[in-house]
This record gives sequence, C-alpha cells and structure tokens, in this order.
Amino acid sequence: MIELRDVGVRFGARAVLEGVTLTVPRGARVGIIGPAASGKSVLVKLIAGLVAPTSGRLVIDGADVTGMSEERLAPVRARIGMLFQNYALYDFLTVEGNVGFPLVRRGEAADVVAQRVRDRLRAVGLAGSEAKMPSQLSGGMKKRVGIARATIAAPELVLYDEPTAGLDPVTTSKMYDLLRADHDRSGATAIAVSSDVAALVTFVDTVVFVYQGRAHYQGPAKTVADAPDPVVRQFVRGALDGPLVG
Amino acid sequence: MLGENAITNIGSRAVAVSRELGGITILFAQILRALVPPRLDTRELVKNLHKMGNRSVPIVALTAFFTGGLMVVQAAPFVQRLQATSLAGWAAGYAVLREVGPILIALMFSGRVGANNTAELGTMTVTEQLDGLRALAIDPIRYLIVPRVVSMMVMLVCLTVIGDLIALLGAMLVAKAVLDIEFGIMYASFVENLAPEDFLHGVYKSLAFGLSIAVTSCYFGVTVRGGAVGVGRAVNAAVVAAAVSVMLLDFFLTYLNV
Repeated sequence: MIELRDVGVRFGARAVLEGVTLTVPRGARVGIIGPAASGKSVLVKLIAGLVAPTSGRLVIDGADVTGMSEERLAPVRARIGMLFQNYALYDFLTVEGNVGFPLVRRGEAADVVAQRVRDRLRAVGLAGSEAKMPSQLSGGMKKRVGIARATIAAPELVLYDEPTAGLDPVTTSKMYDLLRADHDRSGATAIAVSSDVAALVTFVDTVVFVYQGRAHYQGPAKTVADAPDPVVRQFVRGALDGPLVG
Repeated sequence: MLGENAITNIGSRAVAVSRELGGITILFAQILRALVPPRLDTRELVKNLHKMGNRSVPIVALTAFFTGGLMVVQAAPFVQRLQATSLAGWAAGYAVLREVGPILIALMFSGRVGANNTAELGTMTVTEQLDGLRALAIDPIRYLIVPRVVSMMVMLVCLTVIGDLIALLGAMLVAKAVLDIEFGIMYASFVENLAPEDFLHGVYKSLAFGLSIAVTSCYFGVTVRGGAVGVGRAVNAAVVAAAVSVMLLDFFLTYLNV
C-alpha cells in the first residue's frame, strides 16, 4: 500500500506539489491526470523514490521511506517497475539488453532471461526486435520496449508515466489490453499518468486529478467526465470555457 | 555603475566556480566510497578501457610523434651553435618525459575522451537513463562512473607511456633529418642523460591528470540541465575545467618534484 501524507515538493522557490495526501491500496489501479506542468510526473517519481519530498511523508507497505538513502531504498525499488515519460532506454544496450536488464541485474540465468525477453517483446508486439538499438526505434516502439522492461520482473507496483503517448489509437487499445491482462494476472498495483483520459479510464479504477500542485480531486474513473468538480469536468471534456486555469 | 557591475560579475562567477568545485568534491567522495569495497562492473570496465584507450592510440601517437620532433626543432639552433649534438637527445627527452608529453597527451585525451564522456553521461541524464538505473536500485556512481574513472586513469597512464616512446622516436627521426644526428648518438644521449625519475615524473602526472579529467568530465555530465543545449554547454565546461585542472596540477606536481 502506498500512502502520501501531506507531501510537498519544491525545486528552489518553486512549489511543484503541495499538501498531497493519497492512499493507493495494494492491487489498486490509479490514474493520475491533470493539466501540463501540474506535477503529475513529479508525483510518480516521488513514489519511485527518485525525487525526495521537501515536506510530508511517503509510506510504502507501512514503512516510512521518506528521506531514505539510496542503499536503504534499494529493496523498496526492487519491488517497483517504472515506465518513464521519455522511455529512459539505455543507449548502450540492444532492445534485448534493455528489456532483460532488470533480470540480469538480479542474477537470472541467461537462458531464462532470453526466454522471458522474447515473451515480453511478443506481448508488446515487438517480436524479432531483440537486436535493434534504441536509436533505430520509433517513439511508439521505444514506449513498448519501456513497458516490457518495466514489467518483465513482475514487480508488485508498476508506475507508468504516459504509457501510450505517441501510440496510435489501435496500439493504445492493445497496450491497455496488455496492461489489464498483466495486472489481472499478477495483481500488481498500478499507478498511471496519462493525458489520454478516455483510454486511461479503461484501465484504472480510480483517478486523481492533480491541479496546481495539489491532489484536487479523487474519484471513480468511469464517471470522471461527470465529476461534481467543474474544473475536473472541464479538463476531462476538453472544454475551452470554465474555471480551469493554465 | 560600472564598478558595481564588475564587482557583481566577479562575485557571481566566484559563487558559480565555488559551487562547481564543491560539486566535484562531493562526486569525488562518492566515487571513493563506491570503491569500498571495489565491486566494479567488469563489462563496463572492459568496454570503457577499450573505448578510451585503444581508440585513442592513433591520435596520441600522432601528437606524441610531432611533440618529440618539435622539441628537436626548437633545440636545433642551440645544438648547432654549441655543437652539443650529444645533448640533443637529453634536451628533447627531458622536456617530453617530464612536461610536454604528459600535458599535451592529457589535453588531447580531455578533448577526445573527456568531452565524449561528458556528452554520453549528459545525454543519459537528460533522457532519464540515470533515473532509470536508480529506479532499478542500481547506483549510477558504482555502475557507470567508477568504471569510467578507473578506465580514464589507467588508460591515460598507458597512453602517456606509449606517447613518450613515440615522442622519443619522433625526436630521433627529426634529429636525423634536421641536424643529421645519427640514431646512435640520440639513443646514447637518452640513455646517459635521462633518469628513470624523469620518466616516472611524467607517469605520476598522467595519473593525476587522468583522475582530474575523469572526475570533471563525469561531474559536468551528470549535472546537465536543459536538454541538448545543456549537453553542449556541459561538454564545453568540462573541457575547459579539465584543461585548467591539468595546468594547475602540473604546476604543483612540478613544484613538489613528485
């Protein structure tokens, strides 16, 4: 279970997140939506321990991990998989090397790694791409390699930062089908940031609307377009008129 | 006010330089801590040794050859005037082994290897690859940076040794061509007048230069901000910082006669 208790993040004088309180139960699927530069990616990186909160507490499965050193965070991170907004594929490794990297670092046997890499690449529609380098991939292909890498080690928590950005509508649907099947099978907790709200709500159960650095609204994903908050409704419907600022 | 602006500029530059020096010192401490115990990623180490060393041999050889020849050309008027052909080898070799060789090879190494290192690490930083490693509970210092630092130190020493030999060869060839000094005379001049300490002095310097080039290039790489433009700025800053550190280290190591 993930708990953010009145968490804030400041970069210098700029407050990116303020007073964020959020609970994500084990096995839940939570979507994070909001306008550009509202702090969505920072929120996800904070949960991954890549950004330290300047106030508040982050508790994972009952353990307060706020301010933990990199060494002490290692066992926590070992249970987390993450898809980065800009893929974060390693330039110096092939697709096979990238996807298998988490398993190789854990000491898995080479044949096991190779088989699981093949299975993952087939699942994301990139069978046969093992030998390619990231520079040879399109943006959508990089995204799918990133998803494969984030999920290959069967983590307990998977963080997705814009999992379908750059993908066409058909591929987007296939991706969410894949993620649903993965999470149905594993029961892993999922937290996904996405600007494609219509597609996101087919995968998550709850959405959190981050607005001006705060968790402005939390509610069921299926009915977010009819949320009681007018700011949320305007954002989700894409309306130009309304109280939404920025 | 012109005076006030000048003082403000000096002050802000001093603060900026202090911040960079502090950051470099912290990175150096993190590297030392990551070496205890010395668990290096072997594949990364071997890859970097090859990339930084083997591929630098041609440019270092070229630099060294002309450095040795240059020392003979510069000494030629005095050698001819004083008829001191037996000292031509000493004149060229002493300068090359103790000073010019290590410095020029280090500067060439910084421009080629150091700049490339900063660009690589900078690109990895702006594309979140370092965050990707941390998300997998991999310490980027231990996995990426320590192998690069070790590789750069080891390879600069090796390249300096190779460069010294090629420089002396260049000196011999140019001495024959310009001053008609036989190879045997030059060789005897080297052997009779140059001491092992002269060679080791240059080697110790190259070790120190390698460390400073490695740490500065890595520091500017991992602290990049601002996308591709930031990477370019970081490369420039790394090369300048490495060059300054090489000159400062050279002065102090020469003064201390290490």
